[in-house]
Amino acid sequence: MAPTHTSHAPSMEKLVKSLKGQPLEASIDAFIYLLKRRQVKGDDCAGATAHILRQVVAKSKWHDVEQLLFKVQSVGSRLVGAAPHEPVIGNIVRRVLGLIRDEASEERNAEDEFGSESASDIQTLAQVTGPPPAARPAPTPLARPPTLATAASFHASKSKSMFNLLSVVDAASAPLTAASTPLSQAAHTSINSLRPEVLDGIEEILDEINQADDQIAGFADIQIHPGDYVLAYLPSRTVERFLIKAASRRKFTVLFVSLEDSRSAAGEGAHAALRKKLDAHGVNTISLASNGLMAYMSRINKVVFSAKVVYQNGGLLVDSGASVAAQAAKAHSKPVIALGGVYKFCPEDPSDEIAGETGDSSTYVSYADGLKVDALEVENTVADYVPPELVDVYLTNLGPQTRHHLAAILADHYKAEDVGFSLIPGEV
Amino acid sequence: GRRPSILVVEKDMRSSIPECFSHIPMAKRIPISQANKDVHPAVLVVGQQMATFAIKDSISRLGATLLAFRKVIEAYETPKGNSLSRHFVPHVLNPQIEYLTECRPMCFSMGNAIRLLKAKVNSFDIDTPEDEAKEGLLEMIDLFMNERITLAEFVISKNAAKQIYDGDIVLTYGRHRLVEKTFLKAKENGVDFAVSIIDDPYDRGGQELSKSLKEAGIPVYYSPNLGGLRHNVRRATNILLGAEAVFANGSVHAAAGTADVAVAATNTGKKVTALCETINFDRERVSVDALTYNEIDPEQHSSDGFRLLFDTTRDQYIAGVITEFESGTGNSPAQAI
Repeated sequence: MAPTHTSHAPSMEKLVKSLKGQPLEASIDAFIYLLKRRQVKGDDCAGATAHILRQVVAKSKWHDVEQLLFKVQSVGSRLVGAAPHEPVIGNIVRRVLGLIRDEASEERNAEDEFGSESASDIQTLAQVTGPPPAARPAPTPLARPPTLATAASFHASKSKSMFNLLSVVDAASAPLTAASTPLSQAAHTSINSLRPEVLDGIEEILDEINQADDQIAGFADIQIHPGDYVLAYLPSRTVERFLIKAASRRKFTVLFVSLEDSRSAAGEGAHAALRKKLDAHGVNTISLASNGLMAYMSRINKVVFSAKVVYQNGGLLVDSGASVAAQAAKAHSKPVIALGGVYKFCPEDPSDEIAGETGDSSTYVSYADGLKVDALEVENTVADYVPPELVDVYLTNLGPQTRHHLAAILADHYKAEDVGFSLIPGEV
Repeated sequence: GRRPSILVVEKDMRSSIPECFSHIPMAKRIPISQANKDVHPAVLVVGQQMATFAIKDSISRLGATLLAFRKVIEAYETPKGNSLSRHFVPHVLNPQIEYLTECRPMCFSMGNAIRLLKAKVNSFDIDTPEDEAKEGLLEMIDLFMNERITLAEFVISKNAAKQIYDGDIVLTYGRHRLVEKTFLKAKENGVDFAVSIIDDPYDRGGQELSKSLKEAGIPVYYSPNLGGLRHNVRRATNILLGAEAVFANGSVHAAAGTADVAVAATNTGKKVTALCETINFDRERVSVDALTYNEIDPEQHSSDGFRLLFDTTRDQYIAGVITEFESGTGNSPAQAI
């Protein structure tokens, strides 16, 4: 249940601004408070977590890599604890931990810069040729550079070469100073340069999060064909961008579904804006005011929705109506396309029985009706689990993936030692 | 009231139906002044009630129609030089049927009943006295209502209640009168069970059901929509769904969303039982998808909203159908009527 497109931007900006303006501890507390109140939720959690961790790296006191790792781990586990229903937070914490480990080890072995240089060359090349069209994208486990940055943008390779520049200086000066200064001195300077490197790395993660929706949308015209009837689960910014991008290239029909009553003011507003944009491209839109989706499925060609998280078994955490869509599609053998940036790929298994997060039930049952409230165990589920066998394509910012590639993507993005980070007790 | 009383011009309503669904009919309100002058006042009222969904489910519609036809028969006088068996159907009964169909597409039970009624009229000799013929028709209607509606409901709920055991959590979708009767019957039998209701947020019949169950002392879990469906289905011990009709190929025609519940249940290995009177079985029509026979919900239909009233559950998702004659798979009792 991401907030509507319009309400998102200012609140996120405001949030980041307010977090920046406060002392570190206060801003962590403020963020935890917002998470607990579900005022930051869904896709916004990823970006907000990255911002907070950037503050941690920038503002907190640490003298060596171990201390920094511990700081990030303990803040991270507090965030995860505040919002266990948003596993994406844990993903970002793990990404930052992995980043710190990478930067630290690069510092330590000062270093085979030929290797990393050629790696960044490959990336730049990939950037020039643009995102690979129909074919499976570049990141295979074979030819992978030694970093987090499979999704490396131009920005990434640039900052990398900046780093190399610095490390060249280091490497050049090392033999000179090595004779006169003890080793600890070298270690000290490298710690000083670690901070900006990690901060840069977090910026890259933020860029990746911010660009993911657009990059996913870039694959829209491959997935959507002229004349298709696409069932799209809303609201989701990712799905909206995907549809608009597809509309610029293809003529098709979209059937919107939403668990929320589309007559409610917010729902109507959000859909209306999207419908207008799609109409402008000549794409037909139909809003289904419906709970069940089996009825429409014989008309549908494919189902599109966004994942909140992709678990390592290929199962998804989704807004709950999306699971009904996936199930109906499977019953009719129609393809299910789940959208989500790789930052949503989570190296955990779903807990065996995800009961689903329950939300506010007052929209459905009037609390003025005493008998009813007394009578009912109202369960309004807002998040749900989709088992892997219901998903056909995972469309990420790296292109379409199948279940068999999930392990490789996870291995690319997370370090084994960080998978269980949240078990480390948070420092109070 | 769920239906606003604004009269909507039908042409505009239909014009916003997406083309791919434009073959599906929709109930409409016909101003009484525009109805055929031959339509009996009792039928006029029933037609309005159907168009506004004040009378909604298949069996209520059937009952109301038969009672109105009773009035039509009572008021009927054969014109000079005609006989009831030749005159009544084309000149009196058919205009009533046409009007009712215009208000809302006929449900299968109405179609079945009307066919039986016409057969009865045809069975009269041309020189059967009018009084005798009318008496015969009225008797048939009374018997029919007793057997196919009242008794059927009693037998089905009694048999279905036997399938509910202590400790069960029985899942149902929306509100269906047979399912409701079954729960109340099981409670009466002293069974200690709970009910998990999944509601349709666009209909909310489940809220009414939950009230009535609570009054009977049955614990209720209530989900306002299909969110959390997997969880609900896993928790349930059995699933009871009400059917609006059953097709000749065993597909079940029921409130939209029923098929989603049945699929989820079958996928988790749970047994799905549908309840349906045999008068709702159709021996001729076959349906494999929900777009063959359906209706557009006129209430939810606007320039930016669209909703089908029913869906079709294929027989592989239905473990059994309980009828007043026998219980079996969706296919077998289709032979029963």
